[in-house]
Amino acid sequence: MKSVAKWLKPGQIFRLFGFGLFIYLFLGFMILPNINTLTQIFSTKTASGGTDPWAVIRFFFAGNMGTYVLNSLKLAVGLVVTANVVGISIVLLTEYFDIRGAKILRMGYMTTLIYSGVALVTGYLFLYDNNGILTTALANAFPGMNRNWFSGFSAVMFTMTFATTSNHMLFLRNAIRNIDYNTVEAARNLGARPLKVLFKVVFPTLIPTLFSLTIMTFITGLCAMSAPTLLGYDSINPEIVRLAGSSVADEAFPQARAALLSIILAVFTIVLLTILSAYERRGHYLSVSKTKAKLVKQKIDNKVANVFAHIYAYLLFIVYMTPVVMIIIFSFQTYGAIRMKTLDLGNWTFLNFFGKEDYSYLTSRGVYRVREGAVSGVFSNADTLGGIRTSFILSALAAALACVIVVVAVNYIFKHRKKGAVLEYALLFPWLLPTILICYSYRTYFNSNDIWYVGNANLYYAENVRLLIIIAYTVVKLPFSLRMIKAAFYAIDDELEDAARNLGAGGLTTMLRIKLPIVLPSVLAVFALNFNALFTEFDMSATFASSYGTSYAMVMQAMTREEGLYGYNVNASGRRAASTVFIMLLSGLILYLVYGVGARDLGERLAAREKRRKRRDRILTRLGLRQAG
Amino acid sequence: MIRLEDITVRFEEFTALKEINVHVKEGEFFTFLGPSGCGKTTTLRTIAGFIQPVSGKVFVKGNDITRLPIEERNIGIVFQSYALFPTMTVRDNIAFGLKIKKLGKEEIARKVDAIARKVDLSEEQLRKAVSQLSGGQQQRVAIARALVTEPAIICMDEPLSNLDAKLRVQLRNELKKMQRDFGITTIYVTHDQEEALTLSDRIAVFNKGGIEQTGTPNEVYNHSSTEFVCNFIGDINQLSEKTVALMNASGAMLDPKMAHYIRLERVPVNAQHSQGAWETRGSVLSREYYGTYIKYTVKTEVQDLRSIVRNDGVSIYEPGEKVTLSLHPDNVMSYPRREGGLA
Repeated sequence: MKSVAKWLKPGQIFRLFGFGLFIYLFLGFMILPNINTLTQIFSTKTASGGTDPWAVIRFFFAGNMGTYVLNSLKLAVGLVVTANVVGISIVLLTEYFDIRGAKILRMGYMTTLIYSGVALVTGYLFLYDNNGILTTALANAFPGMNRNWFSGFSAVMFTMTFATTSNHMLFLRNAIRNIDYNTVEAARNLGARPLKVLFKVVFPTLIPTLFSLTIMTFITGLCAMSAPTLLGYDSINPEIVRLAGSSVADEAFPQARAALLSIILAVFTIVLLTILSAYERRGHYLSVSKTKAKLVKQKIDNKVANVFAHIYAYLLFIVYMTPVVMIIIFSFQTYGAIRMKTLDLGNWTFLNFFGKEDYSYLTSRGVYRVREGAVSGVFSNADTLGGIRTSFILSALAAALACVIVVVAVNYIFKHRKKGAVLEYALLFPWLLPTILICYSYRTYFNSNDIWYVGNANLYYAENVRLLIIIAYTVVKLPFSLRMIKAAFYAIDDELEDAARNLGAGGLTTMLRIKLPIVLPSVLAVFALNFNALFTEFDMSATFASSYGTSYAMVMQAMTREEGLYGYNVNASGRRAASTVFIMLLSGLILYLVYGVGARDLGERLAAREKRRKRRDRILTRLGLRQAG
Repeated sequence: MIRLEDITVRFEEFTALKEINVHVKEGEFFTFLGPSGCGKTTTLRTIAGFIQPVSGKVFVKGNDITRLPIEERNIGIVFQSYALFPTMTVRDNIAFGLKIKKLGKEEIARKVDAIARKVDLSEEQLRKAVSQLSGGQQQRVAIARALVTEPAIICMDEPLSNLDAKLRVQLRNELKKMQRDFGITTIYVTHDQEEALTLSDRIAVFNKGGIEQTGTPNEVYNHSSTEFVCNFIGDINQLSEKTVALMNASGAMLDPKMAHYIRLERVPVNAQHSQGAWETRGSVLSREYYGTYIKYTVKTEVQDLRSIVRNDGVSIYEPGEKVTLSLHPDNVMSYPRREGGLA
């Protein structure tokens, strides 16, 4: 009886429940759907009704499927080179070398943090397309130029190079700021010239970060979705999405082919991440010094080199800023100006943000009116607003869910070494699977009434798909959240927990009142990064391709496609620009709140409050509302 | 008051403590002294309940608390890092334990104010964040937080090790004064022998998971009961076999099979001859000047001997100068030789 009573303690029941839930979620939403995808490859039906396990494999080697894989690899390899060159450049130019206006340059280089994904690609299209603003302007200046320069491989490379440097700006920047300046001084003191110091002292400490960035960039290139789709490049992911929506009536076993392509992606990812983790486990070149000196920016002594460095820095700045500035300007332009791709400085409007207008044009038989409200602003257009709302709710829920799951898990991981390791690997597992594989697997596996553990409900049917999208969003964000939040937990001194227990606090109180407040800034930062990424994501909602889960990015893409068709969405480009501005403001605000305000510690907050109080007192005294002193 | 009976602690294969016995009396300032890794912090954590011993018992006021949960033990702790909660103000830090006990708001405020006055924290400091205070102020917060719940015992784990030398000496005195004022039973962990000697009523010297000696500072210093204790506490000369033989030849009765030691301050330089002392001549090899005292290393025929002499400003010897050292057999501490020996 005693042992039964012990088992029925609330703590034990809670633990048992947690364990069960974990097994349920892990098997049900990570393992089974993906295994189902794997088996699809080997269960193609022949015309006579039998199964032919090797049909897809034969098709792969006989047909053109290989080119998709090759194209993706080509993109990944190219991107590693270009993104690293640009990424390292912008970090060195803003953090290591003394370049004038570095603060402004940094703001420009960091715009990719709030301007990414579909918004960025459509923005680039708007500028560089064959009738884009810049192309039109350039073609007017140089009549002989090729107006179609921005398409296919080069366009994807160009766009993605500047879109994927966010990680450099976050992680490489951090690494370079952590360099102990005394080591630089020591090298100079020992007779090394500045370039030698850069290559022999500074770079070696950055290698671990660069290695991780290279792997991440490679995977990004391999799994690219929005740029190839919108710019027209035949890589793996767009093909998977196309095949997933195709049917057996149109072509040979599209589902099995999609499955095979996702598994190929998964194999590449697994190999790359295994290399990365093996490398990370080998240990890092950590700084050994206890008293670090802050890095002092290096002046480039050679005058010519200095001029070139400045020119290079500002050229990059222009490349980063042009789309952002253009999008902002054009979001306040009339549809006529946008249609003609020319700036109309005398005519500004808020119509792309608010309000509706009817559209009419002159034909030989008189004025032709199209349907009412063909011109409408972001906040007045039901479709756009619907997409924003859907993305907002789904992303916020998933970003929060991922954070909650990871915080609970990390707390457990730190307490239980062995069992915790299993949990950790389970949460990192989605990292091995390309996003598209997870979504594709969900779409095919849960599109059935036979999955008993979800109550035989078809999760792909109608509104249910939203739940499926939330689960997919959450699962996909678990590995990143785990890595970031675990790092934050390392910062908690063990003695703090001991102190709380010693003062009489139980495990839950310690977690809620001591540990959570300490890691909260990091958790909020992770939430913000998750939210921003999910809000503008395109590949997942495109893979689900359900009208009940039309995300913001999909609405954006649709707008590009149907602009002006039969008098629909006359100002689609303008509205898209306006919505991009709105998203940039929202993302920027979230990042500012989390990194700018949330990252301050209690001391800084109290000091700021004190300062505000003093300022208020001073003003009140000056106004005579309060006695001086 | 606190009694540890045959406490043994094991971490997997490693035995961290073996059969520790300690008895701390009511109101006593009791120090666990020893090198790092000797088990002193482990003992402290066992008393606080963070570690469960595999065998043995912990009694407080006669009650067995060996299996009592940490939060029910009513033992205050000042941690090495102070472990102040960074997300709370000083006031909230001190009030934390009282809030957990669900005391009324006014009572909490009253108790926090009272303890803050006692440890000399101002009303303004109470409103600050922990990170805005200096090291010494943070330590006072840590002490206030540990004392405010009126624990039966307070444990301090190297509370001075994070401070610079001058502050350390200053706070050491404050600590002692506070302990006297509060009259609370205190267990103090340190590896600093000077701290232990100046603060403690009694000291337990730890080594390799066991206690070598328990006694007053004077007992531990002047009558070290083991070779380890006499080596660990204070500076000491080990006498060579030749020296021992010469001393015995002049009337001392030292057992040649044992190891013999003499403290540096018991080796006077050019002193008046005293009854029974053995004298030897040598030349000054080096001199370390400390201000209040001077440390000489003297090369004699038999061995190098070190000596500490009070700086009287008159007799200061230069390296190379000939001096006479006198060693009195009464000041020699003798121990059975260990395998391989120390030194």
